[in-house]
Amino acid sequence: MLLPAPNRDILARRDSIVARLRALVPDGVVADEAGLAAFDGDALTAYRQKALACVLPRTKDEVSAVLEFAAQEGIAIVPRGAGTSLSGGALPLADAILMGLGRMNRILDIDYENRCVVTEPGVTNLSITRAVEARGFYYAPDPSSQIACTVGGNVAENSGGIHCLKYGLTTHNLLGVEIVLPGGERVTLGGKAGDGGLDLLGIVAGSEGLLGVVVEATLRILPKPPVTRTLMAAFRSVPDAGQCVADIIGAGVIPAAMEFMDRNCIGAVEDYCSPGYPRDAEGVLIIEVDGVAAEAAHAAARVTEIAKAAGASAVMEAFDESERTRLWAGRKAAFPAMGRLAPDMLCMDGTIPRGALPRVLTRMAEMSKEYGLGFCNVFHAGDGNLHPLIIFDVMKSGELERAEAFGAAILKLCVEVGGVLTGEHGVGVEKRDLMGVMFTDADLAQQQRLKCAFDGAGLFNPGKVFPTLSACVELGHMHVKGGRVPFPNLPRF
Amino acid sequence: MICAQTEADVIDAVLAARAKSCTLEIVGAGTKRAYGRSMACDDVLDVSALSGIVKYEPAELILTVLPGTPVTEITTLLDSKSQRLGFEPADWGPLLGTPIGEATIGGVLSADVNGAAAIRYGRARDSLLGMRAVNGLGESYKAGGKVVKNVTGFDLPKLMCGAMGTLGVLTEVTLRVYPKPPQSASLIVRDVNVEDAFILLRRVWQSPLEATALAYIPASIPLTQLGYVGEGAALIRLEGAHEPLKEKMTALLAIARSAQQIEASNVFGAISSGAIFAGQDCDLWRASVPPSEGAEIVRQIGSSVFAADWAGGLLWIGLEAGGNGAELRKLCEAAGGQATLVKADEDTRQRIATFTPELPVRRALTKSVKAAFDPLGIFNPGRMWKAV
Repeated sequence: MLLPAPNRDILARRDSIVARLRALVPDGVVADEAGLAAFDGDALTAYRQKALACVLPRTKDEVSAVLEFAAQEGIAIVPRGAGTSLSGGALPLADAILMGLGRMNRILDIDYENRCVVTEPGVTNLSITRAVEARGFYYAPDPSSQIACTVGGNVAENSGGIHCLKYGLTTHNLLGVEIVLPGGERVTLGGKAGDGGLDLLGIVAGSEGLLGVVVEATLRILPKPPVTRTLMAAFRSVPDAGQCVADIIGAGVIPAAMEFMDRNCIGAVEDYCSPGYPRDAEGVLIIEVDGVAAEAAHAAARVTEIAKAAGASAVMEAFDESERTRLWAGRKAAFPAMGRLAPDMLCMDGTIPRGALPRVLTRMAEMSKEYGLGFCNVFHAGDGNLHPLIIFDVMKSGELERAEAFGAAILKLCVEVGGVLTGEHGVGVEKRDLMGVMFTDADLAQQQRLKCAFDGAGLFNPGKVFPTLSACVELGHMHVKGGRVPFPNLPRF
Repeated sequence: MICAQTEADVIDAVLAARAKSCTLEIVGAGTKRAYGRSMACDDVLDVSALSGIVKYEPAELILTVLPGTPVTEITTLLDSKSQRLGFEPADWGPLLGTPIGEATIGGVLSADVNGAAAIRYGRARDSLLGMRAVNGLGESYKAGGKVVKNVTGFDLPKLMCGAMGTLGVLTEVTLRVYPKPPQSASLIVRDVNVEDAFILLRRVWQSPLEATALAYIPASIPLTQLGYVGEGAALIRLEGAHEPLKEKMTALLAIARSAQQIEASNVFGAISSGAIFAGQDCDLWRASVPPSEGAEIVRQIGSSVFAADWAGGLLWIGLEAGGNGAELRKLCEAAGGQATLVKADEDTRQRIATFTPELPVRRALTKSVKAAFDPLGIFNPGRMWKAV
């Protein structure tokens, strides 16, 4: 992984830069070694780097002032929310200011009449739902890190979750943002009503901190469905499970969530927390349907019927909340359960057309033998988003390299079958050097020209998303060392 | 006029225009040429022959088509598999003086023309997953993907929606499609004024009934199929399988006791296409506002020619022909929204801003974005604003 070489001139001016930052954001600059160590990376733990300095603004004006200063001095900026990115989006650079937005953590306006919430960027994802649930509303995107990850980071990464097929990603639930451009100028895109101009909001969502710093966001909230029903279907073969997924969608049912686990995963989670999945099954689907009572009942009946017709060996529905929690517990325990089987683990994040699932799983099983490494597959089956988990031991000679090669091969396979490199974790530094697998030089050049329209000097989050010519191919992964996942208190699914 | 049959033809046309420093007007079926600033281009690039279904995968909810494909062809195809486009594209052809049913998918996406169901499923931009396009350098490129969940690279397809062809020529589009519920019920609440109607529509919108249309027509806009409307009519569409729909209709009665089912499934299309304003001798504006602010804006403007969609968040307003819409724009802006001129004569569309004028920082950004895609200003110059 090559990041841009640090600018020695900036490193040499570090003391005066820090002094200037302290004047702009009193009580909000971290510059000591121990302090910077706390901000030296995100949930892509394989990469660590201390920033030139870390600044923690409390207001839009402070953000603007720092960005104006940085532009004058030619200093790069790495924006950071909670640092839960799995792709290294918030990885600091030695010669860049790391800007943490976590102190801008107030919800500014809850507007039920217009079904939206206006918030500062440092508010956590789950806090939005917590703030509106008493009135029967919620915020739909639910990345697994939702108790910690922030709205600003969600906008930057276009975060997903398990309900994307029905309720969309962040971009589909984002009405507006105010961003600060390089140089400190602020611009509002969208809002409680559309702005009628070019859809710049649409490109800021998922721009991974390359276009601007989000200082305010307007989010759509949804009325909570009155009824949610959860089913489990077990299959003797993966193609049967794949056919079931296709048949459910083909029948016009859009489940709120539809999750697939393969045999390896079932075994691991049964050993770990006994959620009650049949151990002899080749695949299990957890399917959740919601809506008004009759709608959920209708969908649950259709799903049961279709699963049986597709050859399910067992179909059961959770009869109460505790059983529902138990069914989900297995799915949500996939990471820690696999983590017990080997000291290290890589988590991938590609999306494939759902119909390619049997082919992709067959090929992955072959690859597992070729690379001599175990793996399991969890899959947001509704939207085609795969999360293969590769297990290995970094202490054994060559295993890390083999695991990385296996991971890269999986992502290339995703693209080969018509899918994409990343469904929800983002490109960051992790998949940066694989962008050429999916995009041509012309594709990437057009994206980079857009980047230049916002940030001509290339000061925002340099070294992320776009491959450098000289870099060797790396692979996408989340590195789990010694069973210690980054943010071990966060569920991963 | 250059008629492109393939993406290669589009590239050739752009390279030729570049070499000759010519500008190009990009047209599909040409149903919305009278929308946006009037402009004078050196040549016309007709992409209507770039038409056809590339791949339709019902079980994936994915449809890839060439941009010149007529919307009617797409809706017929999707209907055969009980699916549909979520944003319910509207046909502005008749409103702007061309025959019904000719609009192409590329034109609908480029003009961001959405129907009633967008309140439930999102706008065109939310359904466009991927695309191929040709930029102003004559290079073809792709962006987005052909799967529902994708965050790889900048989401350029969103930017192309509503850009009025100013950023490039679409040569292939991949859309997310939705299952079509087995049944649909249109309901009317009669004799209700704007204030009360908009409150009612918002109550439904805030409920879990997932209404796919929440509209309002005043008495001054006659629509015979509605029968008696009194002061005006709130119109609601609920959908689902038989039992769920029954439950939703019962729940709706708890919010709107006098709601009655009507046989008028085309009423929502009549609003979103602007067909209800046929024969009105005025300029037509389309305002996007926070739904709770809609009624007050309607009251202050005081025009009898209007209708609302999206629970009051989208207002169609008729204003005296040739006016500059300044008062409407001021009110919309104060409410956190904006207004766009949809229908007016060419002179008016040359004289006043059809798209909302931008503030300086935003204007500079828009210009830079335009230059990133079309540095020489070849495509539809001045269609949105003077410089874009």
